[in-house]
Amino acid sequence: MMSAAHAPRSDSRSTAPTGTPVRRIEHVVVLGANGTMGYGSGALFTSAVPKVTFLARTREKADQGLAAAIKAVRSPTVGERVTTGSYDDLERAIANADLVFEAVTEQLDLKREFFARIDRARRSDAIVATVTSGLSINQLAEGCSESFKKHFLGLHLFNPPNVIVGTELIAGMKTDPKLVDFVENFCVKKLGRVMIRTADTPGFAGNRVGFKVLNEAAQLAEEHGPLLIDRVVGPYTGRAMPPLATVDLVGWDIHRAIVDNIHAHAKDEVHATLKLPAYMEKLISAGTLGNKSGRGFFKTEGKKLFVLRPKQGDYVPASDVKLPNLSFIDEISELHRIGRYEQAMAAFLAAPGDEAALARKVVAGYISYAFHRVGEVTETITGIDLIMGFGFNWAPPSVLVDTFGIKQALALVEQAGLPVPKALVDASRGPIRKLFTHPTANVGKYFVAG
Amino acid sequence: MGQTPDVFVLGGFQTDFARNWTKERKHFAAMMREAVLGALSVTDVDPKDIEVAHVGNFAAELYCKQGHLGAFFVEVDPVFSGLPTSRHEAACASGSIAILAASAEIEAGRYGLACVVGIEQMKTVNATEGGDYLGTAAWYDLEAKGVEFPFPKLFGKLGDEYDKRYGLKDEHLAEISAINYANAKLNPNAQTRTWYMNKQHAMCRTDDNAAVGGRIRISDCSQVTDGAAAVLLASREYAKKYAERRNIPLESIPRIKGWGHHTARLCFADKVAESKGNKYVLPHVRATVTDALRRAGIADVKGIDAIETHDCFTTSEYMAIDHFGLTAPGESWKAVEEGVIALDGQCPINPSGGLIGAGHPVGATGVRQLFDAHRQVTGVAGDYQVEGAKNVATLNIGGSGTTSVSFVVGL
Repeated sequence: MMSAAHAPRSDSRSTAPTGTPVRRIEHVVVLGANGTMGYGSGALFTSAVPKVTFLARTREKADQGLAAAIKAVRSPTVGERVTTGSYDDLERAIANADLVFEAVTEQLDLKREFFARIDRARRSDAIVATVTSGLSINQLAEGCSESFKKHFLGLHLFNPPNVIVGTELIAGMKTDPKLVDFVENFCVKKLGRVMIRTADTPGFAGNRVGFKVLNEAAQLAEEHGPLLIDRVVGPYTGRAMPPLATVDLVGWDIHRAIVDNIHAHAKDEVHATLKLPAYMEKLISAGTLGNKSGRGFFKTEGKKLFVLRPKQGDYVPASDVKLPNLSFIDEISELHRIGRYEQAMAAFLAAPGDEAALARKVVAGYISYAFHRVGEVTETITGIDLIMGFGFNWAPPSVLVDTFGIKQALALVEQAGLPVPKALVDASRGPIRKLFTHPTANVGKYFVAG
Repeated sequence: MGQTPDVFVLGGFQTDFARNWTKERKHFAAMMREAVLGALSVTDVDPKDIEVAHVGNFAAELYCKQGHLGAFFVEVDPVFSGLPTSRHEAACASGSIAILAASAEIEAGRYGLACVVGIEQMKTVNATEGGDYLGTAAWYDLEAKGVEFPFPKLFGKLGDEYDKRYGLKDEHLAEISAINYANAKLNPNAQTRTWYMNKQHAMCRTDDNAAVGGRIRISDCSQVTDGAAAVLLASREYAKKYAERRNIPLESIPRIKGWGHHTARLCFADKVAESKGNKYVLPHVRATVTDALRRAGIADVKGIDAIETHDCFTTSEYMAIDHFGLTAPGESWKAVEEGVIALDGQCPINPSGGLIGAGHPVGATGVRQLFDAHRQVTGVAGDYQVEGAKNVATLNIGGSGTTSVSFVVGL
């Protein structure tokens, strides 16, 4: 009988040279805890951290955030680890925090006000992270102390954080590299994240590449209509959800904030595709914000689906919209359905008609844009691949290239009249191998039938 | 009788058990293709080398309205046209039965290289309907017909029987659940790797952790899972060539060192009546385990470095602990309390997260367990690696302890 005392096989705790305090995260304070990203991240922290403080403008709002966090992960045990408070308590609440996690409204000035207060009250070794989805990390920290800058970084979780594991990590110019390593390791080991390091560039990696495609789809919807665009750039092209349905889910106001920021602050080879369509600007002013406002590119009344006419700004029943023959999509989907992804994507390249050409142009644009960001946003294509796969649930650009074949992918970009990225040309010159080599990701999951 | 010829495990592949193939709008043919091509790619084996294929599956007729799963293997690649294939069914033990069939053929010298695939697509139907289908793993007319979620109730009764004979505390079942969920967080293919779970939650007695069958609560249950696993089994002759080609020693390729296989009466009440007066609640499960150890030439469970067991419910793992001999009969709680079954314990159970944490695509589970045993003894289990594991045992159970299969995989 085995009854001897429990003998651990190894000591998993890190040991540090004598005198060096071991950094731990045992108390996290979340600012903006009533917002989606605030309570979602807060719930995630409670899975690994014994003490989490939820702060909001009022204690009631923080309590609402806690209730939402409990609901999000469906466990009342979240409450056992969380205390709540208002920003009046901020200084006291963060005095002994190991990590201050800022998730307040996406406004530079507002965030800076909070950082000034945090800077004065934080413990000198406390980490400060912002969940910003695109504001500059360096700009956000301007005016703060050297110690603050050394401990400040961007930790861009995706919504909902307990489901989507892809996370961007953005260091500022002054951020201590050892601290960046520590936070990355903590997020991987304790929070189950897939971490991607990006440069401090507008929209970082995921939103830069993802919203370029979404915005292009919105631009194309003006001429072709949302229904056709979501069909031809639909799940069969390597995404869980069609692009315009995604914009409706994200919210048109959020979409505008992201593309405006990229359009204003990044100059790239396809700058115009980041310009928000004028019809969206107009409709946003009139209260069209996507699903949360009850209408976007699509709206439902009862069980009936209606589609926006971008030029007119009105809606027509989806059943009245005449679509051209799209049988190529059915044929490709049928191949996905039985797992013949290479054959399916070869059929995509060969599909006849204007609609297939339009779909290829968007997919080629995605590949071209993503590979052009290598060296600017991430060191290699892998970072962009991971955030598209684990953050957006889209086929990573390298997965598409691997599935098409690299020569075919190059030809696709050329035929679409798009700039050919050097990173892709370089990859095509090496020995033939897969570009996407993640050890556990099932690339088949990105090719959704229908 | 001479020595039984060896069966080598070259390696394998499992699909990501978090995937929902109905949401991807896919047929299980896609799942089988990904699993088989994955196994061939990881092991670097030429598809032409495969001489026979065995498919383990429980109920594709119900979940997918499709039978004849052996034939779907041929659809994976044109070179498989003409290959001898078959499908095996023994409820949740289907995958292990397919492995037994493939091993027997290799031992008999019929074939040199076999591919075994376990597969189940379950998310095609809602939970109640799926629960009803699972009822066909019991004696449906007698134990499941008209019963909502029959299996939690049957395994709740297993807990009741322990309680009656030896006493049983909920906190020990909650700890078993918490360990499986925690281990699953380390397994990149585990279904629940991003789920929120801890022991306090498993101890919740509110609607957040609702009772589904007697003492069985949501946190005590394994998952409804879509998934497949494939392994390649080889004769000594093929393994030798394979080792030479890859320039690795033959001794570095794990073997199926032992196996056990018994079938008890279908109805749970009959099993319990039969075991009256026996130290073991399910003596045929005990015999399955001891057979596997004996055939592996291992004296007792002290020679086993980790176990992948059938935790369809926490009560089944509780039962496995004493049936493996980690404690005296009825004292499984001691191994739970002393940390013996924890990932860093003396004999970790379900480093993968098991059926509760990693997921339970019914027909795939036995193959997934064998594949995890292979990963452990070859040291490639990543974050859920049990350091220095040389011999790993599996236990796969169909029905309410009805068909039991155990393997010992080791170097």
